[in-house]
Amino acid sequence: MADPFVLGRPTPRVEGVEKVTGAARYAGDVKLPGMLHGALLHSSRPYARLVSVDTSAARDLPGVRAVITGEDVGQHLYGRRIKDMPVLARGFVRYAGERIAAVAADSEDIARRAVDLIEVEYEDLEPVFDIEEALTDGAPLLHPNHGDYPGARAQETPSNAYMWSVNDRGDLDAGFAEADLVIEHTYRTERVHQAYLEPHIALVSLEGGRVHVWTTTKAPQSIRDALAFTVDVPREDIVLHHSHIGGDFGGKGTPLNLPIAYFLAQAAGAPVRLAADYIQELMAGNPRHATLTTLRTGVKRDGTITAHHARFRVNCGAYAAYKPNGVIGGAQRAAGPYRIPNTRIESIQVYTNTVPGGHMRAPGSPQAVFALESHLDEVARELGLDPLEFRERNLVREGDETAWGDRLEHLKAHETLDAAIDTSRYRASASEGRGRKVGRGIAVGDHGSGGGIGNAEVRLHPGGAVTLGTPIFDQGSGTYTTLQQVVAEELHVPTSRITLEIWDTDETDDDSGIGGSRATRVNTRTAHEAALEARAALVRLVAERLDVAEDTIALEGDEVRIEGDGGRVERWPELLSRWEETAVGRARVEDREAIRLTGFVAQVAEVAVDEETGEIEVLGITTAHDVGRVLNPIGHQGQINGGVVQGLGYALMEHLGVEDGRVTTLSFGDYKIPSTADLPPLRTALVEGEEGIGPYRIKGIGETPNVPVAAAIANAVEDAVGVRIRDLPITAEKVYRALQAQREREGQA
Amino acid sequence: MHDFAMHQPSTLAEALALLDEHGYDARPIAGGTALVLLMKQSLALPEHLVNLDAVADADGLRGVRLEADGLHIGALTRHREVETSAVVREFAPLLADVYARVATVRIRNAATVGGGLAHADPSQDPPAALLALDARVEVASTGGTRTLPLEELFVDYYESALEPGELITEFVVPRPAWGSRGAYLKFLPRTEDDYATVAAAALGRIEGGVCRDVRVGLIAVGPTPVRARAVEEALEGEAASLEAVRRASEAVVDVVDPLDDVRGSAAYKRDMAVVFTRRALERALGLAAS
Amino acid sequence: MRLTVNGQSTEVDAPANRLLVDLLRDDLGLTGTKEACSVGVCGACTVLLDGAPVASCLMLAAQVEGREVTTIEGLASTERLHPLQEAFIEHGGFQCGICTPGQVVAAKALLDSNPAPTAEDVREWMTGNLCRCTGYYQIIEAIMAAAGSPDA
Repeated sequence: MADPFVLGRPTPRVEGVEKVTGAARYAGDVKLPGMLHGALLHSSRPYARLVSVDTSAARDLPGVRAVITGEDVGQHLYGRRIKDMPVLARGFVRYAGERIAAVAADSEDIARRAVDLIEVEYEDLEPVFDIEEALTDGAPLLHPNHGDYPGARAQETPSNAYMWSVNDRGDLDAGFAEADLVIEHTYRTERVHQAYLEPHIALVSLEGGRVHVWTTTKAPQSIRDALAFTVDVPREDIVLHHSHIGGDFGGKGTPLNLPIAYFLAQAAGAPVRLAADYIQELMAGNPRHATLTTLRTGVKRDGTITAHHARFRVNCGAYAAYKPNGVIGGAQRAAGPYRIPNTRIESIQVYTNTVPGGHMRAPGSPQAVFALESHLDEVARELGLDPLEFRERNLVREGDETAWGDRLEHLKAHETLDAAIDTSRYRASASEGRGRKVGRGIAVGDHGSGGGIGNAEVRLHPGGAVTLGTPIFDQGSGTYTTLQQVVAEELHVPTSRITLEIWDTDETDDDSGIGGSRATRVNTRTAHEAALEARAALVRLVAERLDVAEDTIALEGDEVRIEGDGGRVERWPELLSRWEETAVGRARVEDREAIRLTGFVAQVAEVAVDEETGEIEVLGITTAHDVGRVLNPIGHQGQINGGVVQGLGYALMEHLGVEDGRVTTLSFGDYKIPSTADLPPLRTALVEGEEGIGPYRIKGIGETPNVPVAAAIANAVEDAVGVRIRDLPITAEKVYRALQAQREREGQA
Repeated sequence: MHDFAMHQPSTLAEALALLDEHGYDARPIAGGTALVLLMKQSLALPEHLVNLDAVADADGLRGVRLEADGLHIGALTRHREVETSAVVREFAPLLADVYARVATVRIRNAATVGGGLAHADPSQDPPAALLALDARVEVASTGGTRTLPLEELFVDYYESALEPGELITEFVVPRPAWGSRGAYLKFLPRTEDDYATVAAAALGRIEGGVCRDVRVGLIAVGPTPVRARAVEEALEGEAASLEAVRRASEAVVDVVDPLDDVRGSAAYKRDMAVVFTRRALERALGLAAS
Repeated sequence: MRLTVNGQSTEVDAPANRLLVDLLRDDLGLTGTKEACSVGVCGACTVLLDGAPVASCLMLAAQVEGREVTTIEGLASTERLHPLQEAFIEHGGFQCGICTPGQVVAAKALLDSNPAPTAEDVREWMTGNLCRCTGYYQIIEAIMAAAGSPDA
């Protein structure tokens, strides 16, 4: 790519003015004439048989237009892949927070009052909350007929572990036999919420025989299809309209209340808006999964890893429905980008009576990488090796297979780790203040970009305006701007001349939407092809109208040069005006192949630990990324910053507290996320290169920054004060208790 | 939110008459940051709200006044005003400091000092310092006025000693003993905008190498804000030293009664109450290294 | 009731239990102000009341009778953006944009009272205007940049 026109330059958001003036329209800002307001009744019991749901008093309240229960709507199952969740509970409730009944009324106040009038009789059943409990013989079976659900695989023996996969490489037993030392630890992570600031909203209108939807989703085509299945309406009768999305981080790929809003609209004969509040979000959203990961590793004295057994157990909650693939991946990240000849990687997906989990930023990775990168630090310390040296010895190099068996190309693991070390204070000498000790920790990770289907259309208009049509509902990560840059680049027109046209779901038949860093990989390619198609259409048009051969026409920005003909030069904006024509290029790209490129991340955290309180102050985080080429430095850095700070929250404070199956952190007063005053100094190092994906040699950046933070901090804490915290979040109290235990041990020794 | 009537009295007497008339069914409102939240969550369902902000300024419910018996701060004074008042800062920097630590500036712009005290939330910051400063509140009703030492205002979680129809009109802080210095330490291991895990305010001075007029108040350590008299007594008249402060601070375990919650276990908070009492005292008495 | 919204005297009929955020969004159609946490923590609903930032989700409309409310819609003039808005765009001070009206309004109040803040002042003042996208660094940059411009 010679001398980029706009790619690589800081480019402000195409939707910037809308967003800073408050004009940008979000789903919550859409109002329809005659619109009713919905409210939901959630289960107060973690596991119970529903004996009766009496809605008579609710129906009698003035202003109530519809009340529906699971019995009213009948058997309608919802799920992105595994369709195991009833729209409204029928027969049983399997978690505290499960949706039991819904009301549509003239106002939200009336709807809520009506919900309070619904009487539910429960017959409590013995619940199961923990992974280990759920896996024991005789544990209550949440879904004895799991195999009957659409999208599910049959089970030989009914079990709460609805999926148990084992990936073996080499000879695990031989590998352990060869080891000088076998070390095993178990790591635990808790549920956390994506904490986008915009709660889910579903607005459904059944006007004109079609289902019109405004909702908070970044995967409109897939949500349309899931809704079609669930409510049994042909997909072409459903249209999702665009609105901006107020944050996603994986959580807006599932429609939560959308099928309920549909049934309410149907029952009430009017449009219904079902807006979640943050209590509902925290109680019954689709949080990141809690996990339990046991790692057993064989090593030689010199630091060579001979065998590694990972058991990655995922607490899926009561349903698999919110997981786009039915399961949470990430198990392979519990073995990582390391050269290990003999591995067994088990991934176990477990039903429990807790809130069902969904996707959150690099689903599965933050959990698995916390386990692996903590564990490897412990192994290194046990061997008496510097954790950095130990990683350097085992990280994959070109030609190596990863522990999962992937043979990736253009590996930049070592360069990325070096960049993190060089940019950080890893090698600085330890310092201590009164009662405070300083430590540093490393963690690494990697993440590839997902595939899928993309669509785009580029139109060149009379006068020179360019429109870029896209089915993407940008969740905030800046895809629109990247696509605009791509089109500007290919057409050599300034971004200011390119306007965006965001399509509703009628415009395309299939599109994967946003997720898994797909926008970077698939959608830049799509926009690139659409722009090239538009150029080609313009050339064809010019050839036809001016009666010249296509190969005599050269486009440079607005100029159309025609070879021969005395070196005639025209400008396409004027030509198109004169001819009253538009040149259109449309592209549909399907790119699902497994790619052999990954993006590495290496982080160094520096912390100070107050030995009297256990409080951790993060003195600095350094994050290094293997990025290929950067298209928009503003957006790229924004992804890094936001990801690292989310990782910081995950490491230190975020925890959807659950007691007896009930979420206890039901507001942002109790569920804390970092604020401006909690930011550590952040240093970023970018390892750029020519090896990337697609025409622009790029790599995804949205996911990796949040992945290694927790392990880097856990490792820094051990470096500082010698205690190891194996469960997230690493709270002051946990460190305090561990320090107490350490003092007791030392007192006895 | 439920339906209610909003009253806009123009005088304090009118406001008190309304509160008296409606008794348990009425609540005064000014900043509303606590009450509106309770109403949104259906935890408070008053049928009548009496908007104190409608009361004319002349009734002395607003602002900071220095008088012979100390600093008077009207109940309707906003947190932010106390935080930024030069008079307050000159009189007792501890008081300005503690109001600056409440929630966020958005809340401090709305929340009133009287409302904050009447709310009796044991995690609110100001009572820690106000207890250390020996503050008292003035209470009015149609039946007259009464004075309550701050300690007697707090009864239990979110429960004050105010009777229906009673209103805090101001609080009064006597001038601290000459040479006294204060410190407020808020333990926030999660985020800066969190409620305290525990927090302690200390006030005191050293005269001739001996601790004098030592006062300690704590919040977020039990059903009410507490004054740690056991600590004060253990230190009063003792030779000032880190060791003496450390020993005295241990006594705080007997005055705290925390609960397990997301900010920590009761046992941890008890331990932290000792640490933060000691650190606040060290800072106030000028003994802290650093 | 009568109040002044973005410089315009406005009369509106609202029941006593109407929240300020709903009055603005539903009765006056000013949907730039957002509601997120609903408990006064996140700052998305920040508006200026007589120039000072408050949480409109914790305030009854009746409490602002006769007072002056400024929302995000009141910042830009028709021809040009407020310098803070320009700076947020230029420095990447937002991504999804849902917290942005609250951020910009809160930052305006800061610069109105403290035209040359330090980065520390900004961090302290903006605590409690939560943002989950940006990690805040570029928001702080944007505010500092706006403060440095002669128009700020």
